[in-house]
Amino acid sequence: MNKNWKTYRAGDFFDELITEKGGPRVAARQAVNLLQSLTQEEMSARRSAAEVAIREMGISFTVYTEGGNIDRAWPFDIIPRIIPAREWQRVSEGLVQRSRALNMFIDDIYNKQKILADGVVPADIVLESDNYKPQCAGMSPRYGVWAHICGSDLVRDRNGKFYVLEDNLRVPSGVSYMVENREITKRVLPELFENYSILPVDDYPLRLYETLASLSPRDRRRPNIVVLTPGIYNSAYFEHAFLAQGMGAELVEGPDLFVGDDDCVYMRTVDGPSRVDVIYRRIDEDFMDPEAFREDSVLGIAGLMRAWKAGNVAIANAPGAGVADDKVVYAYVPDMIRYYLNEKPLMNSVPTYLCMREKDREFVLNNLEKLVVKPANESGGYGIMVGPHSTRATHKKFAKLIEQNPRNYIAQPTLSLSTAPTYIDNAIQPRHLDLRPFILQGKKSWVTPGGLTRVAMVKGSLVVNSSQGGGSKDTWIVEGKQ
Amino acid sequence: MTMLSSVAERLYWMARYLERAEDTARLVSAYNHLIMDIPRGAEPGWDIMVRILDAVPTFEDQFRVASEQNVLKLIIADADAICSIPHAVRAARENVRTTRDVLPEEAWELVNELYLFTRDSAEKSVGRRNRHAFLAEIISRCQMINGLLLSTLSRDHAYRFIKLGHLLERADMTTRVVDVGAGDILDREGAFEAIDPLLWGSLLQALSAMSAYRRQVGPIVEKNAAVNFVFMQQNFPRSVRFCIRGIREELRPLKNNKDALRVAERIRRRLRRFEADAMTRPELHAFIDDFQAQVNALHQAVYDTWFQPETR
Repeated sequence: MNKNWKTYRAGDFFDELITEKGGPRVAARQAVNLLQSLTQEEMSARRSAAEVAIREMGISFTVYTEGGNIDRAWPFDIIPRIIPAREWQRVSEGLVQRSRALNMFIDDIYNKQKILADGVVPADIVLESDNYKPQCAGMSPRYGVWAHICGSDLVRDRNGKFYVLEDNLRVPSGVSYMVENREITKRVLPELFENYSILPVDDYPLRLYETLASLSPRDRRRPNIVVLTPGIYNSAYFEHAFLAQGMGAELVEGPDLFVGDDDCVYMRTVDGPSRVDVIYRRIDEDFMDPEAFREDSVLGIAGLMRAWKAGNVAIANAPGAGVADDKVVYAYVPDMIRYYLNEKPLMNSVPTYLCMREKDREFVLNNLEKLVVKPANESGGYGIMVGPHSTRATHKKFAKLIEQNPRNYIAQPTLSLSTAPTYIDNAIQPRHLDLRPFILQGKKSWVTPGGLTRVAMVKGSLVVNSSQGGGSKDTWIVEGKQ
Repeated sequence: MTMLSSVAERLYWMARYLERAEDTARLVSAYNHLIMDIPRGAEPGWDIMVRILDAVPTFEDQFRVASEQNVLKLIIADADAICSIPHAVRAARENVRTTRDVLPEEAWELVNELYLFTRDSAEKSVGRRNRHAFLAEIISRCQMINGLLLSTLSRDHAYRFIKLGHLLERADMTTRVVDVGAGDILDREGAFEAIDPLLWGSLLQALSAMSAYRRQVGPIVEKNAAVNFVFMQQNFPRSVRFCIRGIREELRPLKNNKDALRVAERIRRRLRRFEADAMTRPELHAFIDDFQAQVNALHQAVYDTWFQPETR
């Protein structure tokens, strides 16, 4: 019997598995009971088994550490996070609504720009953003969808309410970890699955395939889909290979593709050129086509934008989709939902102060020690200041940065991220976490049941990014009596 | 099945490097045996290895004396030297790394283990004590990988380009061994008559042709019969003729195979005229020189047709 569970308290936070009184939540009861019955030795044995499983499967991932990239085996916590299906259903609907509005926004921005003309979103913040790509103007991809794969980061506040923290519309990654995490749990804690009906996650590559196939410009039973990767030294290379393999698609690099005189994209095969219908690109749009974006790109395919604009190839996510993936634009998403869909936003957004607005800026500068300050256009947790956890010198540094370039900074109240029991140093301890579900949009929309839960493994830390020492947990959406 | 040109090229090179690693290990191993049987002063010298592997300039850059130690340091332990076993293994692994999705799952694991073994043991295997075990392990691990591919790969493009790589490399290596090895023996013809059969035997050993030769020709190893066997034996899978026939078989189902088939056909015709009994030492050398040029031309044709096709 593991005594830890009896004394476990999350403190002043919402805990995913344990109530304030110290008992398990309804959906988590069976799992917590079972975990409680394991001795410390047994828990450690399970953890070792997980490490072995990761290394075995990790043969496929961690070998890429050679050659100086930043990829590494990522810490996995064996205690799953459990969310009741009924609760998830509402989140899922909110995410679809959000993704629809975001896509309508992008389509609008590159075409009629009605939302700007109507003054709902200020034109300058959109059109002057680096994420706005004038090369994409006038394009309207199939179904009006630009961001086919969206990874939204969710957190829960003190009351357990979900908030969207940001929407990643460019090349969101991590979905392969979601699938692999389930695989590991099945191997090391098989008993946990006995009394649960848990929604499966390993059909993701098939769903992705359906989404991508629905974009094909040619009507074929099996369209030619490729996954475009920057190559083996990219930290997400294994995910690219994982998804290509899962979809039965070709994993290609820039030099494998070319654009013919007919403005169609071809891949070089031993049987001669073979036309490509859909490109799932995992390279940044700036490197996609040296003709249209960065001339110095060696990863890109000259003429790709031409082929795309001619409608001869589908690209997911579409170039230019990042215009809605901007922390300043984020502040306007609830307005977009009302504007385009005439609906009430189902998901909460975090209140956001835009430093470009004089009043907001003044408030931010006066409250740096309480706020989280983020650059508008960075991902991976880089360049963030968590006010309450920072020194006065850092506050000063950020005050200066904000004054120099107010457009580039936003601030949000420091959220009390939810916690979950995590097995660290042979004890069950609360750790903060977030959740990244993936929303697919093609002909149909689909949301992963759950997603990738990322855990800040350092006590008290709120930063969950893998590049900053975060780990992950298997995430269960469970059906049944609650 | 779609096969990207870049993937086909990596598979082909993976196979060539694996074959090279194995053949080099066989060569060194056979010579290693031989050297112990030969009376002092009669042995051909270790530089013959360097000449067979076409590595004279590389060797001379680093060493002054072609001693056993120096030569084996280069071939067994110098991962940066193109002629070395660790170089071939590393290159094979690099190629598998990016083609794992078209290979059976265990392929990567086996190649990775081969790499780790080579990396960890090469240094301490230069000396006579560990050398044999090291070379035997390299050979058996390469065989294991070949066995896996042979028994699990679908007979499609992936298999085809792997086989092409193996056969081309094997034909190339075999003729090199004969050229230098036989040349060396022939140059000194008569000088050490007593050990000649030993030398020819070790040549067959280096090509793992000894037991096949014994069963088909007989236990007495003799120059012309040995060279003929290595070149022309039609059922022995390491003979030059067998390799060329295999190459033609693999080329036939490929699209746009005209150029490559033409070269392969030319090689086959020339090979048909091969007759060791009627050749002098310079003639044999000239024949092999020409043969190797043709093998290079075949590689070039494969490269131009399937790996770097002009598509724009």
